[in-house]
Amino acid sequence: MDRLKRVASVLAVTLTAALLSAAPAAAQGCPVKIGGILPLTGSMAPITKKIAQSAELAIEHVNQGGGVKGCPVQFILRDDQGQPTVGVDAAKYLVEVDRVPAFTGTISSGVTGPIISSVTAPSKVVQITCCSTASPFTLDGRSGGYFFRTIPTSKTQAYATASETVRRGMKKTVVIYINTDFGTDMLRFYKTAVTKLGGAEVIAEVPYTDNQPSYRAEVTRALAAKPESLLLIGFPKDAVTIVREWLSLGGTKSIALNNSMRTMDFVNGVGAKFVEDVFGMDNAQVAGPHVDAFNKAFEEKFQADTKGPGVHTQYDALMVMALAMNIAKDLTGPSIKDAVRRVHAPGGSVVGTGPAEYKKALELIKAGKPIKYFGATGPIEFDANGDVTGPALVWKIKDGQIVTDRIITIEDMQVLFKRIEN
Amino acid sequence: MLSYLVFFACIVLILGMLTLALNLQWGFTGLFNAGVVGFYAIGAYTHAILTAAPQPRYVGNFGLPWIVGVLAAMAATALAGWLIGMLTIRLRGDYLAIATFGVAVSIQLVALNWEPLTGGSQGLARIGKPLAELFPTPFGFNLWFLGLMFVLMATIYWALDRVLMSPWGRALKAIREDETAAVALGKSARRFRLEAFVLGSTLMGLAGALYVSFIGFVSPFDFLPIVTFQVWAMLIVGGSGNNRGALLGALIVWAIWAGSGVAVAKLVPPSHAAQGAAIQVILIGLLLMLVLLFRPRGLIGEAAVVSRHVND
Repeated sequence: MDRLKRVASVLAVTLTAALLSAAPAAAQGCPVKIGGILPLTGSMAPITKKIAQSAELAIEHVNQGGGVKGCPVQFILRDDQGQPTVGVDAAKYLVEVDRVPAFTGTISSGVTGPIISSVTAPSKVVQITCCSTASPFTLDGRSGGYFFRTIPTSKTQAYATASETVRRGMKKTVVIYINTDFGTDMLRFYKTAVTKLGGAEVIAEVPYTDNQPSYRAEVTRALAAKPESLLLIGFPKDAVTIVREWLSLGGTKSIALNNSMRTMDFVNGVGAKFVEDVFGMDNAQVAGPHVDAFNKAFEEKFQADTKGPGVHTQYDALMVMALAMNIAKDLTGPSIKDAVRRVHAPGGSVVGTGPAEYKKALELIKAGKPIKYFGATGPIEFDANGDVTGPALVWKIKDGQIVTDRIITIEDMQVLFKRIEN
Repeated sequence: MLSYLVFFACIVLILGMLTLALNLQWGFTGLFNAGVVGFYAIGAYTHAILTAAPQPRYVGNFGLPWIVGVLAAMAATALAGWLIGMLTIRLRGDYLAIATFGVAVSIQLVALNWEPLTGGSQGLARIGKPLAELFPTPFGFNLWFLGLMFVLMATIYWALDRVLMSPWGRALKAIREDETAAVALGKSARRFRLEAFVLGSTLMGLAGALYVSFIGFVSPFDFLPIVTFQVWAMLIVGGSGNNRGALLGALIVWAIWAGSGVAVAKLVPPSHAAQGAAIQVILIGLLLMLVLLFRPRGLIGEAAVVSRHVND
């Protein structure tokens, strides 16, 4: 028992000391703290490495460019191990003990979700994620407007598809979609968009399960609605079967497809001559000087390219956060939340990536002038829900090859979002 | 700080409840349940589906009161525990472990794929919290929840203590130590094992319901096999076969799990956070090894007393 008591007392003392040493942190004063939560270990660790480096680069640029409200920024990065309980605990500690008014993170939607509902929303702190795309997070009001993300969700593709079907005058559309969160999200957003844009309508919705040998039942159900066009949302292997059965049972050749079908496997699988009238959608890469500047800075610092998920969006998440903290009248969650929307203000002066541009932004903010941030992922403008959009491209099949039909720029996309959501 | 500690204590008590439940199954009855997280998930999802705010996308989300969710969660896990127990309880040791592990993985996969009911990978949000409208601030709510947890935990602890001291509890230990001897004395080993299994599962379900009503969100990522491992680590560190040990183990293991993250964030610059985080995981493993080496029966091992009348 003695040994036990000794162990217990040593543990108690160490714990208390560790907790107390971290305790008193004023909400304001130098340095300004920004929190971060990423799965540094666990199954996501391989992709997180570059994302964490990108975060480090953003903080370095912020500090070189003048920090936040004249103070250097201290970045406190915590590991969520890909585990919800660990992530929530880290977020709670950041907010209650380190007293960060805003934090970035995390990757897995299963960790971001409980953080939003148990920390971000009730404690009114700002959370900007690089990577969690689960659509409901921004939609049903659970975040109280404190949650933002710098990564486009499936909404972007669905809206672009809707605008293209309307542009092409496709009528009486039947939607066959894969029954996963991706498929149901796409369908939901597509329907919202075509209803708002007018001119097209969805006359039937047919879900399908992947990896079936035949989809005759689904196709027959779809054709029973007497459609004039088809929107197929799914993945190439099943889509080949579905389109072949669709055409052989007398379906029209007016078919719209999602990004996954932009592969020769699909075109050759169905037969190029049968799919001359189809079009599809995909995300397009943003280009421009601000994107290049980020890529160059990252490559120089880490001797690695910027390919991979979340690298660009993580940089923007932190740059937006730091700019918003400078614009906000004080460093409280509600003020920062409102300021996030003024990082890309209409009529503002364009500021880009890197320390020099950040410095320029701070001078403009000090002078009371609006700014317009163009980040590593292009212009960062949040919609009413806290989502961003991205550019898209329309592709078609010509002479047996996949070719780009046209590009929908990010500016066009932002106009489209406003038309659909307002 | 205080607000964090209250939050921390709530999580410890929820994990403690899981550890107590496992202690009943493993510590007292010798049932190697490697699917703790499966029962935790059934309780959590039952509560979430019944109490979450209604949404047209989902067939569940009935928006029922918190208490209905909690009671239904216990009933559902009891039923699941009974069904799974009926099928697997005659398996011994590691065979039972494999069976229960498989069940838990299946439950998690069902949660991931039965989207209209469970929300799939996107999870369910706005789950019923007890009297949330009376406590608008997060600190106020957490404090009230902590009080609630204390009352529940005290009740469960007392009840388990009574039950384990009773002849029923002694029969469990007898079966654990020597099943043949217990059967020779006329005890139905199967019945006792099943009862302990169902009772433990019910408690795990309760812990699941409490967890999601505390956090307000549930998704399949809450129920990965690592949770089972954590609960086992808590029981082994604290002391299998001792309820105080189980609770102490929950406190210490979770304090190290969460606290080492704080220490790493304080001591390691963000540029080396990835390496620091790896050290954190190594620390946790090291602790487990040290406990097993120096205190193989856990920090507080099982008391040698068989009956409180022995010393009379």
